[in-house]
Amino acid sequence: MMLPNRAAVEGIAENMQLADVKGRSLWADARTRFLRNRAAVISLIMLCAVAGFALFGGLVAQYEGDFVNFSLIGSNAYLGVPSIETGHYFGTDSNGRDLFARTVQGTGISLMVGVVGALVAVIVGTLYGATAGYYGGRIDGIMMRIVDVLMSIPFMFVLILMLVIFGRSIFMLFLGIGLISWLDMARIARGQTLTIKNKEFVEVAVATGVRPIRIILRHIVPNLLGIVIVYATLLVPNMIIFESFISFLGLGVQEPATSLGALINEGSRTMQFGYYWQIAFPLFFFVITIFAFFFVGDGLRDALDPKDR
Amino acid sequence: MLSFVFRRLAVAVPTLLILVVLSFVLMYAAPGGPFNSERPLPPEVLANIEAKYGLDQPFWKQIVNYVSGVVTGFDFGPSFQYKDRSVNDVIAQGFPVTLTYGFWSFVVAVTVGVSLGVAAAIKQNSWVDYFAVGVSIGAQVLPNFVMAPLLLLVFTLWLGWLPGGGWNGGQWQFLIMPVIALSTSYMASIARITRSSMLEVLNTNFIRTARAKGLPMRRVIWKHAMKPTMLPVLSYLGPAFVGMITGSVIIDVFFSTGGIGQFFVNSAFNRDYSVIMGITILVGTLTILFNLLVDVLYAWIDPKIRY
Repeated sequence: MMLPNRAAVEGIAENMQLADVKGRSLWADARTRFLRNRAAVISLIMLCAVAGFALFGGLVAQYEGDFVNFSLIGSNAYLGVPSIETGHYFGTDSNGRDLFARTVQGTGISLMVGVVGALVAVIVGTLYGATAGYYGGRIDGIMMRIVDVLMSIPFMFVLILMLVIFGRSIFMLFLGIGLISWLDMARIARGQTLTIKNKEFVEVAVATGVRPIRIILRHIVPNLLGIVIVYATLLVPNMIIFESFISFLGLGVQEPATSLGALINEGSRTMQFGYYWQIAFPLFFFVITIFAFFFVGDGLRDALDPKDR
Repeated sequence: MLSFVFRRLAVAVPTLLILVVLSFVLMYAAPGGPFNSERPLPPEVLANIEAKYGLDQPFWKQIVNYVSGVVTGFDFGPSFQYKDRSVNDVIAQGFPVTLTYGFWSFVVAVTVGVSLGVAAAIKQNSWVDYFAVGVSIGAQVLPNFVMAPLLLLVFTLWLGWLPGGGWNGGQWQFLIMPVIALSTSYMASIARITRSSMLEVLNTNFIRTARAKGLPMRRVIWKHAMKPTMLPVLSYLGPAFVGMITGSVIIDVFFSTGGIGQFFVNSAFNRDYSVIMGITILVGTLTILFNLLVDVLYAWIDPKIRY
C-alpha cells in the first residue's frame, strides 16, 4: 500500500480535528440565521436607538418634562412649533411643556411597562407551565383549568375596575399587566414541557434521583428558553399597546408622568387646533417601537424555530 | 356533541360566577364608599342613603343579594351616580349602539381579512400578495386608539367628508369611522392567518389530487381548500371578538358614539361601581358565550377534534 502524499493526508486529518473541535451550538446557529435576516437586524438597531433615546434623551433636552412655560400657553400654535433655536426640538404641548422631554419620559415608561410585563410572563409563566407540564395528571388538569378560567375573563375591564377602586397608580398598572401577561406563556411552556419531559436526559435525571424542582429548573427550563424568548419578544409590543390603551383613556400613568399612550391621547385632542407635532412625535416613537419589536420577534422565531432548519 | 356543549357549559358557569364574585369583592374592598364626596354628607343622611342601597348590611348578605339578583333576573342594581336609573337602563341605552358597530366591524374584519388572505395565498409573490402583507404589517402597529385620531384627522379635519363623532341613530356616515378604526387591526391579523393557513393547505396531498384529476382552480379552492383554511381563522375569532368589545371603549370615548364603553369610562371616573360591575359582567358573559360558540363551531367543522 502506498500513501500518495503522507504530509497532505496528515494535514487533512489535522484540519478535520480542528473542524471537529469547532462545533456549532444551537445559539451560534440561531445567531447566524438572525443576522442574515435584514429586517430583523435593522429593527434591532432601531430598537437600540429608541432605547438610547429613552435613556439618554434627557441629557439632550433643554427643559424638564414638567417645566411649564407659562408664556407659551395659548400661543402654542406659533410659538411652540418644533425648532432647534428655542430648544424645544419637538415643540411644546398645549400646557407649554417641552414635548421632547415628555416624549423621552413617555418612551421610557412605555418600554419599561413592556419589559416588566414580558419579564413577569417569562418568570411566572415559564415556571407555572413547566410545573404543570412536568407533573402532568391531575395537577396539570387543575393548573391549566385555572389558566382557562382566567383567560376567559375580560381583563381589560377588570383592570379598569381595579384602577378605579384602588386608585390610579403605575404600581396598579404593573400589577394588572403582570396578572394577565403570563397566561399565554404558561400554555406555551406547558406544551413544550410535555415533549421535553420524555427525553432521555430527563429520564436519566429522574433515575439518578434528582428532585423534581431541580429537574424543572436545571433541565427543563433551559430547554424552553428558545421559545420563551421568542414569545417574550412578541409579548413586549402587546404590553406596550395594552398600557397605551389604558393611558389613552386617562386611567393609566398619571400626570406629570406620562407614557406614549397618554401623549398620543393629548395629541389627538389638540390636533384640531393645528398642533400636529404633538401627535406626530409620540406616534412616531410608538409605531417604530412596535414595528421593531414585531420584526425582531419574527426574526427570532425564524432563527430559533427548529421546524425551519 | 351535546355532551361536549354541556361540558363546556359546566366550565363556563363557574367562570361567570367567579367573575361576578370577584368584581363584587373588589368593589367591597374599595376604600371609601360611592357616596363619599368632597363635601361630606351628614352621617344620618349617609346612613339613610346606604340603607336605601342596602350597603349597611353585612358583607355576605350583600353578596348573596347581588349574585341572586344577577343570576335570577339579570338585575344589576341601581346606579350610584345617575340617581333615577338602574344599571339595566344604562346598558339598555348603550348596548344596542355597541352591538351595531361591533357587528359591522366583525363582518368587515372577517370578510375583508379572509378575502385578502385568500387572494394573497393564491397569487403568492405577486403584487396582490405584497399589498396584503404590507397592509397587514402596517395595520398591526395601528391599534384602534391610534387609528381613531388618524381617521379623524384625515376624513374630518382635512377632507371634511365625515362627521367627527356622534351616533345619530346609526346613520351610515356615523358608522364608517368607528367600524374602520375598530376592525383594521383584526382584519390584518385575519388576513395574515388566512394567508399562511391557505398556503399550507395548498401544499397538501389532497389539493394536489384534486388538481390532478382536473378540477378547475376555483372549485378546488372553494370546495376543498376553504374549510381546512378556516380552522385557524375560526380559533382567532374568539380573541378578536374580545378585542373588539374592549376596543369599543376607545371608539365610544373618541367618537362619542354613546355605547357602553362611554358609560364604562364615565363611571370609572365617577366611581360608579355598580355600572362598572354590571358592564364588566355583561362583557364577561358575552366573551364566555362567544368562546363557547367558537369552540362548538370548531368541533363541528374539524372532524379530527374528539369531544
